[in-house]
Amino acid sequence: SERLEVRVEVARQREMKWIDMFCHWDKWVKHRFQKVKLRCRKGIPSSLRARAWQLLSNSEELLRDNPGKFEELEREQGEAKWLDIIEKDLHRQFPFHEMFAARGGHGQQDLYRILKAYTIYRPDEGYCQAQAPVAAVLLMHMPAEQAFWCLVQICEKYLPGYYSAGLEAIQLDGEIFFSVLRRTCPMAYRHLKKFKIDPILYMTEWFMCIFSRTLPWSCVLRVWDMFFCEGVKIVFRVGLVLLKQMLGSVDKLRELQGMYETMERLRNISPDTIREDILVQEVSAYGGRVHKACFCFYLETRVISHFILLWLILLSSLPLSVSTLSDVLLSRSSLSQ
Amino acid sequence: MAKQYDFLFRLLMLGDSGVGKTCMLRRFTESDFDTTHISTIGIDFKMKTLEVDGTKVRVQIWDTAGQERYQTITKQYYRRAQGVIFVYDVTDKLSFKHIAKWVSDVDEYTTQKMETILVGNKCDDSLRREVSKNQGTKLAGSYGMEFFETSASKNINISESFERLTELVLQAHKRDVDNLLGSLDSYLDKADLEEDKESTVPHLPQRSCAC
Repeated sequence: SERLEVRVEVARQREMKWIDMFCHWDKWVKHRFQKVKLRCRKGIPSSLRARAWQLLSNSEELLRDNPGKFEELEREQGEAKWLDIIEKDLHRQFPFHEMFAARGGHGQQDLYRILKAYTIYRPDEGYCQAQAPVAAVLLMHMPAEQAFWCLVQICEKYLPGYYSAGLEAIQLDGEIFFSVLRRTCPMAYRHLKKFKIDPILYMTEWFMCIFSRTLPWSCVLRVWDMFFCEGVKIVFRVGLVLLKQMLGSVDKLRELQGMYETMERLRNISPDTIREDILVQEVSAYGGRVHKACFCFYLETRVISHFILLWLILLSSLPLSVSTLSDVLLSRSSLSQ
Repeated sequence: MAKQYDFLFRLLMLGDSGVGKTCMLRRFTESDFDTTHISTIGIDFKMKTLEVDGTKVRVQIWDTAGQERYQTITKQYYRRAQGVIFVYDVTDKLSFKHIAKWVSDVDEYTTQKMETILVGNKCDDSLRREVSKNQGTKLAGSYGMEFFETSASKNINISESFERLTELVLQAHKRDVDNLLGSLDSYLDKADLEEDKESTVPHLPQRSCAC
């Protein structure tokens, strides 16, 4: 019970530190960002998580600057082709979570509201099925209007293009991820290559849902805490840590002698193989390596410029325009600061 | 270790979002149906070994996300398949209408000959039915496909449809092999004729080892 008291005391202190940061948020972000980053890596106290995510993503400001906008969007009718798919997805997100278990329950209703609002807010983007689990995680923490603006930030600032019609950005990030893997964990890289397991086969759900369907829940929250602070590079690093953990040693590969066995392992990560503190520690330790590898990929593609871009487009039969590709590459070249 | 099967085939499941592709596959490979499930994001596959006409066949069944935008990802896998199950939901007219698009997409993105069947899923839900069995049969007929009405939740026709498609793929494969052997025979006959003119045919071992 003494240890419990200590833990409670530590948690209380942590909360106080966060509340203090909230009071002078702009100053903290501007002058002491490293400290904010470290505190996010330690895990945001659950009582303050919702507020912290909104501050980190700037969605709170967005909400302040757009009063009444969400209600306005809600009043619009929306396009049938989006509403139809959204409705089919409502009962297929976190079916074991009490908020989303009941058909037509308040969780599913709110999910409908914010996904629909997004299709009206960005009619050119519409709805992508991977947005539903992301929106659901947000709704577990905050009311619909706040969750909506947070979703907007994720779709536009954190993962631009991930949910757009051609799914170009996610496919490109798959290629980048694989090339980073070659440099950071050659053993896993060779194994995946040997069995012709394209990155798109395992990382699509990981990246698009920000691991919300992949990791044990306590890990999901820790990953999202870091993600909101540091951005997409966290997604890359978590992916690398997972591959290294599952395919990074001769012992582990011995049981995975085939495409099927490997895919099964990657798509159903057993919760007891992942420990929250170790995951966070390894993600933090990746530091400059990912940056360097991404930058190499960026340079390689940039130096040979349009020819290799065209070649990439043709080879992977991606319906990419050169300008989108360069945009994504540019944004990825600054994955780590 | 000896191989556990004689053939490996790849099958593909295509159809609109929410028609029940994942549930059908789960019913088939795990003999299980769960009313709580999550939407498929991206692409996944399951394996099962079947016995067809005394032959052990291992099938790899690719399950795809139904939303249109995922096609930029999933279509890359169309070419690897030898058979396709087109699925619609009998309680959803639109998913039936979209079968035409799924069929033409497969034509567009593939070059190989493929075996195909049409499946109308959720046939147990008679209250909400919007597409009659007759309509399904007719559409399948117009494409020259076989047709099944299935229910993943009540386990109706699930293994029958997967097994039938596997059978069709196996038959097509055997036909191809026969044709290949046939043309090999005629090639060898021709080689025999050639041999009369020339004295050595090094690539036919049974002739060259006359020692």
